[in-house]
Amino acid sequence: MTGPAILFDAVGLTLGRTVILDEVSLRVAAGTVHALVGPNGGGKSSLIRALLGQAPHRGTIRLDWPGNGPGTVAYVPQSVEFDRGLPLTVEDFLAVLCQRRPAFLGPDRRIDYGAALDRVGMAGKARRRFGALSGGERQRVLLAQALIPAPDLIVLDEPMTALDEAGIAIFETLLAELSAAGTTVLWVEHDLAQVRRLATRVTGLNRRVLFDGAPLEMLSPERVFDLFSAVPRRAGAERIAS
Amino acid sequence: MSFEALRALIQGWAGAGLLPAGLTHGFLVNALLSGLVIGPVLGGLGTLVVTKRLAFFSEAVGHAALTGVAIGILVGEPYTGPYASLFGYCLLFALLVNYTRNRSNLTADTLIGVFLSVSLALGASLLLILASRVNIHILENVLFGSVLTVDDGDLTVLLVVALGVTALMLPLFNRLLLASFNPALARVRGVPVKGLDYLFIVLVTVVTVASVKIIGAILVGALLVIPAAAARVVASSLRGFFLLSVAFASVAAVAGILLPVQLALPVPSGGAIILAAGLLFLGALLARLFMKGEEG
Repeated sequence: MTGPAILFDAVGLTLGRTVILDEVSLRVAAGTVHALVGPNGGGKSSLIRALLGQAPHRGTIRLDWPGNGPGTVAYVPQSVEFDRGLPLTVEDFLAVLCQRRPAFLGPDRRIDYGAALDRVGMAGKARRRFGALSGGERQRVLLAQALIPAPDLIVLDEPMTALDEAGIAIFETLLAELSAAGTTVLWVEHDLAQVRRLATRVTGLNRRVLFDGAPLEMLSPERVFDLFSAVPRRAGAERIAS
Repeated sequence: MSFEALRALIQGWAGAGLLPAGLTHGFLVNALLSGLVIGPVLGGLGTLVVTKRLAFFSEAVGHAALTGVAIGILVGEPYTGPYASLFGYCLLFALLVNYTRNRSNLTADTLIGVFLSVSLALGASLLLILASRVNIHILENVLFGSVLTVDDGDLTVLLVVALGVTALMLPLFNRLLLASFNPALARVRGVPVKGLDYLFIVLVTVVTVASVKIIGAILVGALLVIPAAAARVVASSLRGFFLLSVAFASVAAVAGILLPVQLALPVPSGGAIILAAGLLFLGALLARLFMKGEEG
């Protein structure tokens, strides 16, 4: 199964008197690696939360699944909040996320956690304490959980933030594999050089869509400068009016 | 439900010298059975309480039981088991704390502190009003637990609650844990985070209330926290954490019920259970220090 296409149509989100998203319309084509870039507070994470059904919003978000209905959606958050001293191994963490059988009874042998860890370069670290991992290693484990079960749509929220060079290489390989398998990837990223290299398409978001197209074409120095410096006209006008 | 046959069997074994002599007394067999039923459940649920940082909440629910008992006596329930008021008031207290926690800008500990203080003030006031109606020793039993007063009705309540909580906790264990790690990730994985939040609060409350008779309102929350805290200190995996917590809570419950009788110590069961749990916690801390020393 290939991934779904995603249609955002006039999506709006206002918290109190602050406009977070303003008439955002864009289409993520099926099976592409679509990057979302923009300044902090520009609404990237809010758009993802709206897509995942976790933020009340105006407008429409539609997933067009090929075939007979919805497939598997995976999500890689920036981080997880937990007590670092918790006696929780990497394998325990994956078991908590991926299986019904209580994780304290051990891993479900029908699920190949080793293969997922192998794909993110964490083979042999299944018994390590999750809280003792470095930030980059934890990020790799978060990527591994998204591979179980194999995703049709994967939503990545700045997955490269804590990764070291080896981790970045693994991430690139993983992205290529997902893309080859037809998985739709929606990827929030701040590293524009990586977006230029790895994404099929990029959308610049600062409360509203400022540009949308092929990365090499869209990420010109002028557009990037505008994206990260300009106050979107309508949101700015609202702020002045209030 | 009658436990007569089981009680007779245990008393028979005690009479034959196979079990401690104190177990020839029926009341102590009742207390031991209740400890064996509720200890493992409190230990298992405690791992989630500690992980979700709800230790203070579980203490507060235990203390709310005092007010529940006072209300029960006020409305004419039997003072030996005012379960309708106990469950009713404590559930109302817990759900109100949780509802307000999600809607106020106060930190959880501040909010729980407010609710706990008001609830205790209400309970103490009601008990003073009721002082002429009840024997003051009943209050001692409510506060610190007693092995003398556990009857078949209490055992039945404990058994039903323990089975119900276990039947819900085990299949939902991963989901309850995941909801505290990252709610967004949990929701993508199909976990109804808010619903499970309330369910967990209800599970903690009913187990706490069911255990009040044997452990006491003041101390019941501690058996949710101390064994899990001790297990967390020494365990290196989730399996070790859960199993050790269950083992510690069970050992503390049995030791706290049997030792005061065996050693003729004038200590209430609740106090003895928590002291035993405290000793296990101390042992776990020492073991941890020793292990660290070995590691260099």
